[in-house]
Amino acid sequence: MADLPPGSAAKLKSVALESGATVCGVADATAFDAYAPEKHRPGDLLPGARSVVVVGGAQPREGDWAATSPWVMQTMGTTERIQGVGRRLAQYIESEFGYYALYVPPGTASGDTPFLSLMLAAELAGLGSRSLAGPVLNREHGFMYWSAVITTAPFEADGVETSPACPAPACREMWDRERTTPCLATCPGSNGGCLSGKLENGRAVRTFYDAARCNTRVHTHWVGGFQKVLEETLNEPDRDKRKMLLYGDFFTRSLWAITYSSTNIAQCFECMRVCPAAHGLREMR
Amino acid sequence: MTREEQVKAVGMKAGARVVGIAPVEAFRAKVPEGHRPEDILPGARSVVVAGGDGPTAGAWRCPDHRVMEITGYDLRENVAVHAMCDFIEGTLSHRAIQAPSLPVHGHEPPMSMMHAAELAGLGTRSLAAHIILNPEYGLLYYAALITTLPLEPDQPLAEPACPHPGCAAMYKRIGTTPCLRVCPACLAGTVQDGRIQTSAYDREKCHSRAQTYGIGSFQKGLLQIVNEDDRERRRTMIYSDFFTKSIQSLGFFRDSIAQCFECMRVCPVGRKYRKLQ
Amino acid sequence: MAVFKLDPEVYKCYKDEVLKLCNSFQKIDQPGLSDKQIAERLGLDERTVTEIRCVAERDCYSLDEWEKAIEFKRKATLEWSALALKRPDLKPE
Repeated sequence: MADLPPGSAAKLKSVALESGATVCGVADATAFDAYAPEKHRPGDLLPGARSVVVVGGAQPREGDWAATSPWVMQTMGTTERIQGVGRRLAQYIESEFGYYALYVPPGTASGDTPFLSLMLAAELAGLGSRSLAGPVLNREHGFMYWSAVITTAPFEADGVETSPACPAPACREMWDRERTTPCLATCPGSNGGCLSGKLENGRAVRTFYDAARCNTRVHTHWVGGFQKVLEETLNEPDRDKRKMLLYGDFFTRSLWAITYSSTNIAQCFECMRVCPAAHGLREMR
Repeated sequence: MTREEQVKAVGMKAGARVVGIAPVEAFRAKVPEGHRPEDILPGARSVVVAGGDGPTAGAWRCPDHRVMEITGYDLRENVAVHAMCDFIEGTLSHRAIQAPSLPVHGHEPPMSMMHAAELAGLGTRSLAAHIILNPEYGLLYYAALITTLPLEPDQPLAEPACPHPGCAAMYKRIGTTPCLRVCPACLAGTVQDGRIQTSAYDREKCHSRAQTYGIGSFQKGLLQIVNEDDRERRRTMIYSDFFTKSIQSLGFFRDSIAQCFECMRVCPVGRKYRKLQ
Repeated sequence: MAVFKLDPEVYKCYKDEVLKLCNSFQKIDQPGLSDKQIAERLGLDERTVTEIRCVAERDCYSLDEWEKAIEFKRKATLEWSALALKRPDLKPE
């Protein structure tokens, strides 16, 4: 197999940024083997995969974080914008370099399991690292959405981040003072929330994450809620009460979220809202 | 270029047909608390509204209404809003958000795009479902952004786009207008001295036409299905064309947005843009 | 409670009034009231009003109205096409 011309990775990244990505990195396809379960590694999706190109961007704007209406972030999500970049890059790699490229669909293979962990891909491409709250944070830009392209092209891999964004200095100070951090205080696992953790030797260590509870917050109005109401309706013997369930606010809203995908990507941002490392470094007025 | 011109140029380049600006103060008069731009983004100063094209001229000529039911909406004005938000935050360093316009409780959105379009001088309410008509282009779809950036606002239009002189003349002659005549189920109104005197709009009936297949029809169908005791009848309902199309519209959101254009089809405002070869 | 379930009796008692006060039946230049404003007027809490309104919006017309909508659009489109495109063969029966 012929190698790529010199500067190919740089060219690819340039195209990614021009297409709308905020960051672009490359991970070695084999690096996933140590972390990803079988059937969810690059080579399982594209035989002969050699690298994974990851783009990050479409993050909530500063205005989104500042908005006091919960509906802004819950219904005006912009994650699909980065998906478009990923798709475009896959086509570009094939037409420009002549190697196979597979855009990783952002949906799930089954249940809640993705085809390939985009968060793991972002980490291995050196674009960020996991935070105590969970999302991968980029040191400069904070919280972002990710898209990935698996390819047989041997792009030069970037190294993983050695200096994580989390914990932020403010969080270290808070931990020293109060033995908690903003994200842990906002959503404490010990009190009906999703998270527990600690800072140890300057690193964030997550000790507990209630994924099922988090799902009820991140996807309050979506497939799960729909299923719950449907079950309750079928089990309800009173016809008037069935109407209240099916025509009610919660079910109607869940159907909107199912229909308009921007409203179902993420519906809870509270751990990220309070995170000093999640919002990037720009001052806004 | 002024800041206003810069922002508008970004929106037009991204595909908006028109762009206008309204000050947040203008929303206080008619908008209840909780639904104003200032309630949504603290420190908000301006609302920038983008209007995007509806169906193409060719789509208007299709005799099969089902085609427009699933192709009537381009969503380009939303792209323009995102481009302007990126510009305002990225280049002008002020906060900007896309205004939340999708319904979140029943049929009520957090903020009215129609009202924003009026205040930004992009159109006026019409007899036809109170749709905002741009005097040049007629039916456009609107999206908006809210920003902390102070911008010189545009003024609401002094002259209403509706009624069109032809419609005013028609009303004088036979007591109705094209839109009122084609859809008396949803619309009622009167015209006097070339102006709208009264106008009534049954939104819930219109919903059954504008979103025939969608969230509402799915709920209606599902309730009938769960209440049906006969297994065979239940089966035919589940696999019916109506319920199938309802589910399909949930899967492809474009299928669910706008599905009735009859009042606009007969509207003369902006019609010159539909006359092609 | 995980999912707000409206008492059908409360619904029946207030649905017509809520529909009248909200934006379901619009008159130009007379905006309907918000859920909060309706709640204050009727002496209910806002969440109950939201729930009543959501159910009432959907319950307002039966599924027969959807059947009429499909037929209305089919006929209206064809009638217009017959006239505007000068295609009398398209005129509906």
